[in-house]
Amino acid sequence: MRLFVAALLLLAAGCRSSTSSDSSFNKGSASTRGGELTASIRTEPRNFARLGPREATTDLVATLTQASLIRINRVTDDVEPWLAESWTRSADGRQYTIKLRPNVRFSDGHPLSADDVLFSFEAAYAAGWADSLQVDGKPLKVAVIDPLTVMLTFPVPFAPGLRILDNMIVLPRHKLQDILKKGALQTAWGLSTPPSELAGLGPFVLSEYQPGQRLVFVRNPQYWRRDNSGAQLPYLDRITLDVVPEQSTELLRLESGQSDTTASEMPADAYASLKRGADAGTLRLFDLGPGLYPDFLSFNLKPDAFAGDPRASWLQRDELRRAISLAVDRRAFADTVFLGAGVPVFGPVSPANKRWYWAGTPKIPHDPAQAKRLLASIGITDEHPARFTILTQKGRPTFERGVAVIRDELKKIGITVDVAALEGNAVIQQIVSGRYDAVYFNFFLSDTDPALSADFWLSSGSEHFWNLEQKTPATDWEGRIDELIRAQAVASDDAERKRMFDKVQEIFVEHHPMIYFVAPRIFVGSSTRLGNVMPAVSRPQLLWSPDTLTVTH
Amino acid sequence: MTGYIARRLTFAVVLVFAVSSASLMLARFAPGDYVTESLGVNARRAAVDAARARYGLNRTFGEQYRDWLVGALHLDFGRSMQYDRPVADLIPERAVNTGILAFSALAVATLIGLPLGVVTGTRRRGIVPAAIRAASLVLLSMPPLLTSLFLVFVAAKSGWLPVGGMTSSGGEGLLRHMIVPVAALALPLVAMFERLQSQAMSETIGQPYVVATFGRGVPLSRVIWRDALKNALRPIASIYGLVVGTLLSGSFAVETVTAWPGLGQLMLGALRARDVYLVAGCAAAGSVFLAIGTLMSDAALAMVDPRTAD
Amino acid sequence: MRALGLTLLAVIVAAAVAAPIAAPYAIDQPFRGLLNAPPTLPHVRDDSGSWRAPFIYPWTLTNQLEQRYEQDRTVIVPLRWFSDGHLVSSSDDGHVPLLLLGADSYGRDVFSRLVHGARLSLALAVAAAAGALILGALVGGIAGYAGGVLDDLLMRGSDFVIVLPAMYIALALRSAMKLVLPPFEVFALLAGIFAVVGAPFLARGVRAIVRSEKQLDYAAAASSLGASHARLLLRHLLPAARGFLGVEITMLIPAFIVGEATLSYVGLGFPDPVASWGTMLHDASSIRAFSDFPWLLSPAAAMFLLVLGLNLVVQHAGVAPVYNDTDGSPRRLRANSDTLRS
Repeated sequence: MRLFVAALLLLAAGCRSSTSSDSSFNKGSASTRGGELTASIRTEPRNFARLGPREATTDLVATLTQASLIRINRVTDDVEPWLAESWTRSADGRQYTIKLRPNVRFSDGHPLSADDVLFSFEAAYAAGWADSLQVDGKPLKVAVIDPLTVMLTFPVPFAPGLRILDNMIVLPRHKLQDILKKGALQTAWGLSTPPSELAGLGPFVLSEYQPGQRLVFVRNPQYWRRDNSGAQLPYLDRITLDVVPEQSTELLRLESGQSDTTASEMPADAYASLKRGADAGTLRLFDLGPGLYPDFLSFNLKPDAFAGDPRASWLQRDELRRAISLAVDRRAFADTVFLGAGVPVFGPVSPANKRWYWAGTPKIPHDPAQAKRLLASIGITDEHPARFTILTQKGRPTFERGVAVIRDELKKIGITVDVAALEGNAVIQQIVSGRYDAVYFNFFLSDTDPALSADFWLSSGSEHFWNLEQKTPATDWEGRIDELIRAQAVASDDAERKRMFDKVQEIFVEHHPMIYFVAPRIFVGSSTRLGNVMPAVSRPQLLWSPDTLTVTH
Repeated sequence: MTGYIARRLTFAVVLVFAVSSASLMLARFAPGDYVTESLGVNARRAAVDAARARYGLNRTFGEQYRDWLVGALHLDFGRSMQYDRPVADLIPERAVNTGILAFSALAVATLIGLPLGVVTGTRRRGIVPAAIRAASLVLLSMPPLLTSLFLVFVAAKSGWLPVGGMTSSGGEGLLRHMIVPVAALALPLVAMFERLQSQAMSETIGQPYVVATFGRGVPLSRVIWRDALKNALRPIASIYGLVVGTLLSGSFAVETVTAWPGLGQLMLGALRARDVYLVAGCAAAGSVFLAIGTLMSDAALAMVDPRTAD
Repeated sequence: MRALGLTLLAVIVAAAVAAPIAAPYAIDQPFRGLLNAPPTLPHVRDDSGSWRAPFIYPWTLTNQLEQRYEQDRTVIVPLRWFSDGHLVSSSDDGHVPLLLLGADSYGRDVFSRLVHGARLSLALAVAAAAGALILGALVGGIAGYAGGVLDDLLMRGSDFVIVLPAMYIALALRSAMKLVLPPFEVFALLAGIFAVVGAPFLARGVRAIVRSEKQLDYAAAASSLGASHARLLLRHLLPAARGFLGVEITMLIPAFIVGEATLSYVGLGFPDPVASWGTMLHDASSIRAFSDFPWLLSPAAAMFLLVLGLNLVVQHAGVAPVYNDTDGSPRRLRANSDTLRS
């Protein structure tokens, strides 16, 4: 209880200099202008334009140098106008007329026009990474009305609306059109591109890339955004991203003042060091509450995966998974895996997803006796014990520890678990080829809005982890989820959408294809120089709004 | 002599090709490929297939190898899929970084380890030799990951030295940044050289020849350092080459912890990502290092005892 | 000196052999609420000065997230001897376990895991060292003895082994095997891989030594007396390398023990909760091990003792190398360093 209060106080302290949930901000005085920030990243980005699958560092670089038509405020989870100044929606909900902000220029001085928007859509669809820009499997239609107006047509009414545009950055047509014509867009703006070739609409511009070491970004003099007092953003002169592959070293750099912050969160065992720094006044510790995407245990539910295997009679049964969920003491799990800094979760949506979390998610009690009864009902008793293998990835401490806890807890109800910890790529290969009993894993969904992460919910989806890309739903409950997800994607009323998605969660929890245990609390540290921080729970927690960050100097 | 050098050179080139080819072949047997890891579990099968075709990963091994071989003969060693740059650009860049570390560490280890080994090998009793011996054994029982972490930890706590990285943001400060990684690489080597040299020295001294020289009035230190030492260098000279060769692959722990952008780290990343051409290139670079090292080593051996050179 | 070395080794081996008795707890028994707990050192005098049978004070968790503990000196928990097949444990195993070397990050007793892990690590190291010894000595001996093309081939072959990305081989091997590996297969595979990887170092040094030994008078004499090549190599030339081999082995053994943890990254290791010094050290590899939980590094201390013992046993046990006498003829130096100085 004391810990909870302490955490709240820390959160309050950390947020002291940030503003209310509204994205407007008031710190525009001249004294906070200028200075530089150093953050550490664990890997190098893949390219400079986010022209491929989403990846944390590449996304961060795109946040710094590029812009989209809208922005999702990571604190409020709301859609904000960005390059699009305003928009209107047609009566049937399928057409959006978007007005671009006037007098916006790319970092090389070239003016932004609707042609760039059209081009960006073409590029996204041509590059082959546009699944996220499709609705119901069909692309959006884009038309230029006038140099500052674009009309977007959805194939079907789409409830999240323009939120989908977070997946598309506005690229400079004048720089990339020739490359698109040559069909070489996939590999455009790779790491060997000279910075002078790049142009974007973001607050910063890449000034230097030292391979293997760092990326240096300087202020974009053409940046369109201004603060409330009319001063041009960004406040910072320079942001440096240092490549530091080892987490311990990242932490040491933070403690010694060589870095101002890290691009991703710190694990629970770093808390002590961060707290020491915070107590000494050299660091700031942000406790951001439970994370959005906890680790999960998923079973292989492909219908013919265990043909010929005597365990087929129980390995894919709902009762087995429910028994596992009952048998694992989530408090003990949180204690062992996250040093107590975790919140028990029972369903696929974390309570951190405030807008969509079903408040009625039943809290599954820790009841090993009931678990044993369920096992007995599918034929697993002391005379017929059960044994299966959990696959997981070596080198990820939360996986290894989580599986150890699960193994120990299941032993108590008569199930023997063998753990196969493989190297990363090997695990993915096994999962994709469907050769596993169960896997303990993690991945992030593309958006908190279920209609934008439909690939996970739909049985035909590529992220439908326990039974990927089904042609027709394998079970009737998956069929019901399919219907609900499709319905809520077109429903115009928000309350109706919520109701439907609550039902999806209810069905999910009833059949647990994936079992969730604990969502860890997210801790991030920063130096005391940082100002105007608006911490959010998703990565990059402190750097998602780089144009409003300030440092004392 | 030229025949000897020509033979060594031919062998070195053959080794480079053999190692690269073996790497490419082995990559086939390792589970997964670049596309499985970079696209991950969540990608559509269609996207995965398209990407695989784009990278040429759906060809048979024969086709892939033939294309690579033809390119290699024109000194084009393929493109890295992770970095989208030619392998021939990436490798020398990183090899220089690792080379700086490796050769500095080797120099430090030789200059410190050898004399220490002479001291402990010629003096059985005494506090100083015992302390040196104990220190060597401590260093040998520490895993390289722990040694690197410890040194970075000390650097951070003391505040004198930068924590990780190769240069400061302006590109300067190489020497200051080198201290921790070179120390992390050199300390186990110092211990190894000290132990080997100690053993060799203690086998050498105290013999009729040496006693006779001593009896002629030559000071003991000169006897040790000039006459006995030469003969005792053989074991170290013989493994020098191997040390050079393995410094490359063994440095990845140090490079990862100290954020030093070197070849060891590059190779580990390439292995994990199944970036096949880059792995082949790194393995080839490793064999070049090794070839240089063994040449140095055989030259040293020949210097130590001309009779055994061929 | 040698006696001290042998004693050290004997103690370590004895502890390993007697692990089930010497260790108070099983290797996979986690103590909830005692993650990374400090060691409970046995006392015989309590705070008031009176003597008691050996006892320990319990640790209470004062801050879970920071893993801070406080010793409760008001509670006396006596030790229990010769019960349940264990030499010693605590009389309140459930709440106040005897943690001679503290607990690891899962709350498991480090001392128990250390002595059990000694079995695995020692066995693996010995097997791998034996393999490397045989392979390296043979390859190096034949190369040094035969010279010429065979020498070149063997040495280039060993170069090839060094430079090949071992991780790929390990990955390929791992993917060819079934998902869950029985411990013995893992053991055999690891020992084999280490033997092959360690052999080139031995081979190089042995080759140089054999090459120079070959020219000595005694070798020519033995040969003219009719000794076969094999006999000459095995009985006369290879033993000259024993000093070098001894030192190299003492350096390879810690590398093998630690290498097991590295190979487990490709899935070729002993699965959790199997205890081995390599994995214990790897789990301990974090900054906090230096600042807050130094007992986690006890496997390194154990390895130091092992290497110290080995070193004391093999050092100065070698044979003098060959030198060129003043008239140019090769000679082996006899006697040892003791004759030079007292």
